[in-house]
Amino acid sequence: MTAVLEIKDLHAAVEGKEILKGVNLTIRQGEVHALMGPNGSGKSTLGYVIAGHPHYEVTQGDILFNGESILDLEPDERAKLGIFLAFQYPVAIPGVSFANFLRAAVSSVRGYRDRVREEMERTGQFKEVGSELIPMREFRKELLETMDRFNVDRSFARRYLNDGFSGGEKKRGEVLQMAMLKPKIAILDESDSGLDIDALRVVADGINKLVADGMGALLITHYQRILNYVKPDKVSVFYDGRVVLTGGPEVAHMLEEKGYGWVEEHLDELEAKEIVNS
Amino acid sequence: MTTKIMTATPISVAAVKAISDRYNEPAWLRQARLAAWETFEAIPWPTYKEETWRRTRLTGFKLENYALPEAEPEVYASREALPEHLREELAKIDSAGALVLQDGRAIYRELDEALARWGVIFTDLRSALTDHEELVRVHLGAQVSVDENKFAALHYALWLNGAFLFIPRNIAIEKPFQVLILQGERVANFHHTLLVGEENSEAVIVEDFMGSKEGMSDSVAEVFAQQAARLHYLRLQNLDETAWNFATQRISTARDALYRHLQASWGSKLSKVWIDLELEEPGGHGELLGLYFTQDRQHIDHHTNQNHRVPHCTSDLLFKGALDDHSRSVYQGLIRVWPGAQKTDAYQKNDNLILSDHARADSIPGLEIEADDVRCTHGATSAKVPEEYVFYLMARGLSRKTAVRMIVQGFFEEVLNRVPVPGVRAKLEAEIAHRVGIE
Ligand SMILES: Nc1ncnc2c1ncn2[C@@H]1O[C@H](COP(=O)(O)OP(=O)(O)O)[C@@H](O)[C@H]1O
Ligand SMILES: [Mg+2]
Repeated sequence: MTAVLEIKDLHAAVEGKEILKGVNLTIRQGEVHALMGPNGSGKSTLGYVIAGHPHYEVTQGDILFNGESILDLEPDERAKLGIFLAFQYPVAIPGVSFANFLRAAVSSVRGYRDRVREEMERTGQFKEVGSELIPMREFRKELLETMDRFNVDRSFARRYLNDGFSGGEKKRGEVLQMAMLKPKIAILDESDSGLDIDALRVVADGINKLVADGMGALLITHYQRILNYVKPDKVSVFYDGRVVLTGGPEVAHMLEEKGYGWVEEHLDELEAKEIVNS
Repeated sequence: MTTKIMTATPISVAAVKAISDRYNEPAWLRQARLAAWETFEAIPWPTYKEETWRRTRLTGFKLENYALPEAEPEVYASREALPEHLREELAKIDSAGALVLQDGRAIYRELDEALARWGVIFTDLRSALTDHEELVRVHLGAQVSVDENKFAALHYALWLNGAFLFIPRNIAIEKPFQVLILQGERVANFHHTLLVGEENSEAVIVEDFMGSKEGMSDSVAEVFAQQAARLHYLRLQNLDETAWNFATQRISTARDALYRHLQASWGSKLSKVWIDLELEEPGGHGELLGLYFTQDRQHIDHHTNQNHRVPHCTSDLLFKGALDDHSRSVYQGLIRVWPGAQKTDAYQKNDNLILSDHARADSIPGLEIEADDVRCTHGATSAKVPEEYVFYLMARGLSRKTAVRMIVQGFFEEVLNRVPVPGVRAKLEAEIAHRVGIE
């Protein structure tokens, strides 16, 4: 079955201020859907709300994953469904090693933890600490292979999570995590920003490989530069908390030519046409 | 432990004399004990008016609730003969020598024979007093003086035993020495640690304090790092959560000596710990590491001093603590740079992670600088687990509990990765995991 993430008339507020003002958007597995919009329009907020950030309050509308609302799910439960958010600004967590953290995440997302817990409940016997994790050797092998395949330096494994990482390293780290967690739908929040051309290629290449493997991507970006490397199936324009225009790759080119100023000037027209959604 | 305390002696001047009689102690020691008892009686009980006691109250502490142990516990001739739990505990660290004390009696001693031939002395303080009286006499009380505080005075009047490590000149021992200090119920224990590293020697010692249910521990440690010596002292306080704990520790470093200290304060109901680093000759370097993770109504108080008396010394302090439930920590530290102690480089940092709305961490770092060409930095932080960290980890599929656990463990990593003994590191990790709660 192809997974589908549907966002329907989504309104969300933070600290009483409405940021999302009726978002409609559909992301399918295997597709790249680019979301372009000016700074401050609410793109990151959309990513956070999809991932379940507790700070943001959904005031109206719904988010459906394969037809079921995920609004009541905790962030980890959404991750287990196969939703992934690559952060625009990944936080650095001192002292937590990339490898240990990722092993725990992989184990959780692939159900090792739940299986052990069920078994303990069923048999009434405790399992030893560590049994809820993917076996070390298996994990190591997969991690090394994935790092090689996605052009991430092997030293990442030993480093602390994003601690002292350059901007580019953080973005590569997000791609590595995504590659290990193998989500069905990924929201990539400006995974291209602040990257030099080599890093951009690595990140784009990673996204392409995962999409080829069947992942669906919502590619949030401010610039159309990454779209030279990742070919979108659809492009939506985001403005002031909602999608104002959706079309094919040509929308990105038009936007590049005319700029966000044009969107602002023609806002009424765009909304009247109701060419929102796909 | 199979040992039962059948009879116990109340704490009094009679008890002080009884110790000297029982062990037929030399006159100098007998005198010293009686003088210490007088000092103890002369020093008033601490009140909050004293700066060091302002945040730590002794409400509920009554000396008469504790007694000196009388019975002689069973002594073990080999590791194999030891009860299983002690054998297991010792096996956690690959050591060059081991010493187990039960209520002030050495119940097990072990030292690599080659080391003994080289002149290394590692034994209980009571045996050292018999076999190396002069060495003990010269060092005992040379760092921590009797009138330092009321608990030090009490300690010098009543100590029964302790650990003695002497490393001769030019001897370097890689493997650690380990000491287990076991304390029975309702007992007052006065463990005394003497570490002497002669010129260009090197050693690591680990002391682990355990037990003391409803009891008290009043310990003193004195460390002498002579010229170019390299000493590591890891002190693990795992006392029962009903114990009162007082500890006075002082370290002196001579020219070019290197000293590393770890204080891990896990247990006790209340702890008052003084750690005083005296850099007495140029070229000395001292590191003080601290860990604590308080729960329930625990109260842990560390008071440190980095005393730079001479030029060209460095010191580096890092204390990290997590606080849960209704617990409380106090950290009070001073970097003191004396006039003329130029080129001092001193660092002091205390970080606290607050896990409960009812927990509280007080941090009072301090600088007192009387030289102008120095570099001194200090700082203190106190923060809750950042929600942004939790969200990031949860968005990757970790439950809230696992996420918080990882963040707390990560918080301690900065100290853990500076612990030189893998077995000790594993013990510390287990203590943290235990408190953070394995899923
Ligand atoms: N946690 C927050 N608290 C207050 N305001 C916020 C918060 N997060 C976002 N906003 C506001 O929401 C608006 C949209 O921000 P954001 O989603 O980051 O936009 P974009 O990613 O498109 O640049 C901005 O005006 C921003 O100031
Ligand atoms: Mg953004």
